[in-house]
Amino acid sequence: MKNRAVEMSSGVYTYKHHCEGGFDIHEIYIKRSKFRVLFSYVGEIFLFANVLHALLLKESLCINSFWSISFAFAVAKCLKYKPVKKESLLIMPTFGVQLEQHFWSGRVHRQFVPVGKLLKPVLNEHVTPITCYWSLVLLLHSEDKLVRVFKKVYPPVKMMVPIWKALDAFTNYGGMGNSVALQPNPLLINVEQGCTAT
Amino acid sequence: MENVTGEGISDQIERFQTQLQMDGRGRKHRILMVSDFFFPNFGGVESHIYYLSQCLLKLGHKVIVMTHAYGNRSGVRYVTGGLKVYYVPWKPFLMQNTLPTLFLTFPIVRTILIREKISVVHGHQAFSTLCHEALMHARTMGYKVVFTDHSLYGFADAGSIHMNKVLQFTLADIDQAICVSHTSKENTVLRSGISPEKVFMVPNAVDTAMFTPSPDRLSCDEIVIVVISRLVYRKGADLLVEVIPEVCRLFPKVRFIVGGDGPKRVRIEEMREKFSLQDRVEMLGAVPHAQVRSVLISGHIFLNSSLTEAFCIAILEAASCGLLTVSTRVGGVPEVLPDDMVVLAEPAPEDMVRAVRKAIDMLPGIDPQVMHLRMKKLYSWDDVAKRTEIVYDRAMQSPQTDLLERLPRYLRCGAWAGKLFCLVMIINYLLWCLLEYLQPTEGIEEVPDIRPVHARLESVDDTCETQGKGI
Repeated sequence: MKNRAVEMSSGVYTYKHHCEGGFDIHEIYIKRSKFRVLFSYVGEIFLFANVLHALLLKESLCINSFWSISFAFAVAKCLKYKPVKKESLLIMPTFGVQLEQHFWSGRVHRQFVPVGKLLKPVLNEHVTPITCYWSLVLLLHSEDKLVRVFKKVYPPVKMMVPIWKALDAFTNYGGMGNSVALQPNPLLINVEQGCTAT
Repeated sequence: MENVTGEGISDQIERFQTQLQMDGRGRKHRILMVSDFFFPNFGGVESHIYYLSQCLLKLGHKVIVMTHAYGNRSGVRYVTGGLKVYYVPWKPFLMQNTLPTLFLTFPIVRTILIREKISVVHGHQAFSTLCHEALMHARTMGYKVVFTDHSLYGFADAGSIHMNKVLQFTLADIDQAICVSHTSKENTVLRSGISPEKVFMVPNAVDTAMFTPSPDRLSCDEIVIVVISRLVYRKGADLLVEVIPEVCRLFPKVRFIVGGDGPKRVRIEEMREKFSLQDRVEMLGAVPHAQVRSVLISGHIFLNSSLTEAFCIAILEAASCGLLTVSTRVGGVPEVLPDDMVVLAEPAPEDMVRAVRKAIDMLPGIDPQVMHLRMKKLYSWDDVAKRTEIVYDRAMQSPQTDLLERLPRYLRCGAWAGKLFCLVMIINYLLWCLLEYLQPTEGIEEVPDIRPVHARLESVDDTCETQGKGI
């Protein structure tokens, strides 16, 4: 039974939720920044030009050449942009959850968390010396570190709340089927009010 | 489509004006308390912020505390009553103060102010680096700011001169300031040049439920004098070294209990050895705050030998436990207790001994229970919160000013300092514009409020009804 797809947009992030082949799939799409891509190419061109300039000089290689190439390499490294196309969370009944990062280059990074290891999903307020943002993390058995569901993107909390609810239902029912996990439950309503649980 | 008649428009305008008035009258504030000093560190400022926040939460306001990280305690924590604390991961640099960076704390302060929808920023303590920086950033962003000064400071030494200049900078553009005693207010006005009309006097208070007298009254066969303070120069430990032997010599039935630790503890131990007072002077070492009451109720008299105090919470706690107080007449101490609860003395050994003699004579007339009840009426954190609420209301009524109106206030701070302060504020303003460009205000997500339990239950019922209707 295929459920109706849900979609939500906010800024550069688009949230899509659908069921496919018995799996509950939550996806966050990220718009690619054209300026970042342009700067990335500019950095690479800068590096290439410096290398050519050093090679095409009539004099032999000197210390200036090495410094300029190193500087160009550092600039290119800083400007390099590895865009993420989307991050996915697959809820597999009975088995666990799979976290995926899909890049525009076609590379996919996957991490699987078995249901027996999954303790609780948490909406965490992450404080850094510069800023403060929400992140959805997983508490695992026998692990002292939290596992972030979305590693490369920072979606708004209103997108993460339905994902958190789905994960919470999944963990509450021990990985049972979709029909039970997705049912609205009065117990969840109480938790719903406290969606800033830490 | 329905036409809106003139009468409808008038009604709408009337309703809007009524709404404005209602908002102005019963508006609840969203307060950000900023200081380098908060639990798990312990002291007077920490207790003040905590109890004040708890009582403001009870009055219906929203309170958030911002401080730096303490060891592994970093990130967002929720303490009693849903008080939210941001332990920002800036490491302490000197005496629990963060490194003065002037501008580097702007991004995190701005993020917290926006996501928590703050209306008033309340800074605590004159030598808290985070407090000064947060107040500066909040003023740049147009928020109302209030400052509480918890200490007295001198005028003559290099450290005091520097600190007073920093305070002058912070208070040049403040909305309201609070001091904990009239002496402290006088000191702050002289140090910073702030207008006296902007300074309120809101005293500290004591948790009278925590400091209660002993149920059974102590006998006067043996008189126990309790001293609980950090054994440092500022708390008059050197004065104790002179007073204790003299009192023990003059009054054979007097015994001392000394609680607290610090650099001067060795001197007191030496005094004990020198005068063979091991059986009459008991040294407890550091006393956890949870055990302070049990130490206090074992004594008849509380001895405070501080050389400088803006207020003195310790004598409040002692009086709440029913102890008669002997204290030096310094700073704001004479304002704290009524004359029949305290015996004041100059900070000199002879005068202190005379005061102790007078206190011993007064002891038979002291009833700890009566004293406790009077303290409960005199000093209450609920009263402090109500007074602070008045200060917030006054701050909200002050006019909104932009950068051009604020710069002249900084220029008046001094010939060279004024121009330097103006330059700092201009750079801060430009930094704010840059942050607005890099991370717009609309992009910062606001934090949903955790409602109190009874409100949550109500909303649960409402949601159930809604779901029922949906089905």
